[in-house]
Amino acid sequence: MNLYQTVFTGSKQALKVAEDLVKEVVEKKGKDCKVAFPDTAYSLPVIYAATGKKITNVGELEAALDVVRSLIVEEEMLDKLLNSGLATAVAAEIIEACKYVLSDAPYSEPCSGFISDPIIRSFGVPLVTGDVPGVAVVLGEFPDAETATKVIKDYQSKGLLTCLVGKVIDQAIEGKVKMGLDLRVVPLGYDVTSVIHIVSFAIRAALIFGAVKPGDLGSVLQYCSDRVPAFVNAFGPLSELVVSAGAGAIALGFPVITDQVVPEVPTLLLTQKDYDKVVKTSLEARKIKIKITEIPIPVSFAAAFEGERIRKGD
Amino acid sequence: MDEKVLSIDKTTLEMLDKAKKDGVKTAWDRKAELKAACGFGAAGVCCRNCNLGPCRVSPVPGKGVERGICGADAGVIVSRNFARMVAGGAAAHSDHGRSIALELYHTSPDGDIKVKDEKKLMKVAKRFNVPTEGRDIYDIAHDVAQAGLNDFGRQMGEVNFPPTLPKKRKEIWDNLGITPRGFDREVVSIMHSTHIGCMADAEPMIKMALRCGLADGWMGSYMATEFSDIMFGTPKSIDTEANLGVLGGNSVNIVLHGHEPSLSEMIVQAAEEPEMIALAKEQGADGINLCGMCCTANEATMRHGIKLAGNFMQQELAVVTGAVEALVVDVQCIFPALAKLSESYHTKFITTSPKAYIKGSVRMEMDEEHPLQTAREIVKAAIMNFKNRDKSKVMIPELKSEAIVGYSTEEILNKLDGVVNSQIGPMQTTKPLGDVIVAGVLRGAAGVVGCNNPKVQHDFGHIETIKGLIKNDIIVVVTGCAAQAAAKAGLLKKEARELAGPGLKKVCELVDIPPVLHMGSCVDISRILELVGSVANQLGTDISDLPVVGVAPEWMSEKAVSIGCYVVASGIDTWLGVVPPVTGSPEVVDILTNKMEDWLGAKFFIQPDPHKAVDEIVNRINEKRKKLGI
Repeated sequence: MNLYQTVFTGSKQALKVAEDLVKEVVEKKGKDCKVAFPDTAYSLPVIYAATGKKITNVGELEAALDVVRSLIVEEEMLDKLLNSGLATAVAAEIIEACKYVLSDAPYSEPCSGFISDPIIRSFGVPLVTGDVPGVAVVLGEFPDAETATKVIKDYQSKGLLTCLVGKVIDQAIEGKVKMGLDLRVVPLGYDVTSVIHIVSFAIRAALIFGAVKPGDLGSVLQYCSDRVPAFVNAFGPLSELVVSAGAGAIALGFPVITDQVVPEVPTLLLTQKDYDKVVKTSLEARKIKIKITEIPIPVSFAAAFEGERIRKGD
Repeated sequence: MDEKVLSIDKTTLEMLDKAKKDGVKTAWDRKAELKAACGFGAAGVCCRNCNLGPCRVSPVPGKGVERGICGADAGVIVSRNFARMVAGGAAAHSDHGRSIALELYHTSPDGDIKVKDEKKLMKVAKRFNVPTEGRDIYDIAHDVAQAGLNDFGRQMGEVNFPPTLPKKRKEIWDNLGITPRGFDREVVSIMHSTHIGCMADAEPMIKMALRCGLADGWMGSYMATEFSDIMFGTPKSIDTEANLGVLGGNSVNIVLHGHEPSLSEMIVQAAEEPEMIALAKEQGADGINLCGMCCTANEATMRHGIKLAGNFMQQELAVVTGAVEALVVDVQCIFPALAKLSESYHTKFITTSPKAYIKGSVRMEMDEEHPLQTAREIVKAAIMNFKNRDKSKVMIPELKSEAIVGYSTEEILNKLDGVVNSQIGPMQTTKPLGDVIVAGVLRGAAGVVGCNNPKVQHDFGHIETIKGLIKNDIIVVVTGCAAQAAAKAGLLKKEARELAGPGLKKVCELVDIPPVLHMGSCVDISRILELVGSVANQLGTDISDLPVVGVAPEWMSEKAVSIGCYVVASGIDTWLGVVPPVTGSPEVVDILTNKMEDWLGAKFFIQPDPHKAVDEIVNRINEKRKKLGI
């Protein structure tokens, strides 16, 4: 299958899942049931940024499926491909919103799920000063926990914020990676769709710090591309859904680096099979330059360890 | 003159008006005077190959006279005439390549022509199996030149092919029996077989034409380009300006017209000498303003950013501005009419090559031993002619466009390196280009080449085709007069990416290039073969599998026919915007536009409407993508 068809297929799959889940929510909760993520002034941030409309109840959430449908135009041109990727992002947000309707606490330790506004505001300053030089979204599964740990700890030692999605979370736990917001390693969730919580982080950064008007999607994408130094590492077998989500990342200006054989697009979609080079490849692809003063000490040293708590057992 | 608008280029229309007022004739006037062209010649069914004739047969099968006196039917006559066009075109490129090779053979460290690009020399030496280890570069250069020259007159075996020629393509040629032997031999073979009482079968006749064309593209033109780069430098991206507005109001304007780069190189050098500039100032001019026309312009602009005065149909109009002190020419595509035309102005029309004397011109033959000295004399003659300029007759159009030129294959690879992740690599390959084509960010690539032809509106075919293609995310490379049309229309600027489709626009932003890349002169179409061959090798396919096409929207010369033949024989579908003289034989038409696909995986398309041609190209490219599974 060519890359375009893969993305379109993934987007349609995402749409189908969203449609089914919304249907379930309508049946179980009714159209008037309230829809909201915790601690945010931006409603469903992706949809709000794209359309300028706040979703308040299930009925409106159902109508938002049209946004997804309108973004899927199956014509093999780059703009259509990127829109299809955004469609997957919107569908993912709808799916995640449904989770929060169906359950009061859909996410539990170690996963964070939705990231609240106060956290974004607190991360905003170090992002702007370059203290947090980038955001690594690590998704999928490494061949083993050791490799996963090595890559994640490398990002951590460089001060990046690393978000984990999927089985890599278990691999990080197995590798004894210390996690938590203050340690700049955040497991989002096990479902692919939970990746939307870091997307909505970037998009809210555009609304909060970039003062971009909600509904001005072009400016939101431009701000993310210019100002949010994020990138995606997608490891292990890639489903069509993951590839289409990757197209969404590319629409935001975030390059995708994978260990799988894919039709590569220079600077945007790259294959790197050598895990020892993943970090360098990713930083170069996102043009992240880290000023390093290496101090030869036997433990990792970085701002990411500032909030670390030494427990009795350690 | 016809009432319809003759050109989409404003400077051309302005100058045509002036020509009318000045009472001088241009090619368009002569075209009109010829009235309707002879239908027998236009259909290719007129034969003058012996003195039994001239014979003309009916272009309509089953009606009228079907055979000439010798018995040749329409298929035989059309295919023979077609083959002779190819031979003529190939011969022009052959002689161009030969001159260049001889110049390389005569390079010396203290001569006027030196080796400028050693790296390229080493690369080319490798492909000719010339040893380089620990040797003097001039010894290498002379051996390379000798090896190249051998291929022109090779009697045994086959010519040397560059490594960019994919193995699968070579096998196709071998199986079809169209692998070229010596270049000159292929031209002679055609002249032999088209003689009365020789080849009388359209299919093998056309195959001979293809073989001759291949000698042109993959050998003669290829070598001309490589050796020119070795001696004069491999082009790198450089800014320039285009259109008649580049002529200077108070400068000594020297227009270089023709083909071989040695002439322009020497004149560029001479015109930069302080004594020359001082002399120009002494004569009351601000300085010396060099500009070019046709392929000499392309050669000089690719390497030095020399301004492009215009393309083929504008050569007379440059003189009509009244501001050209000297029009210096060498060979090919030079209107003999320029001799008569320049009598009406102060312009000195200077011919320099014994291969192309023109009655009524000022002959200043290039001294092969001391070409720079001749160039100085030419520049001096132009400067001394400045005082003869009749200011009351001067009218320089104000229009000119910015352009970026100089995209040799090497420069394209350099640009592509900019998007390669250093942790992944590899550098200096076509992989990024192959990647974006496979991924579908670019639909494909097109080479838009060729001439101007007063049968169609000047520059309209070029510009509409190019605009249509880039809008559909097809990256366009241009050479020859098509390139100059693009330059004049502002399509060689980075800003032109706004006219491109979303994928091409993105690629242009990432690589930092315009959507239309000027790759040089007509012999530099070999650069396109090099690029396409490299991509095919990179992807492990044959050229005919790739979503690439060639287009000659306004072709006119026999060289264009030879080029078309080698492009199709290389596996690239080729669109012709002007109907070739083959319509008198349904058999030949069927071979060119149908059967060739079975032979070569590519064929000719004849489509005078550029918008329809773009649609056909997009469809065909999508078909090829589908077949390749991308």
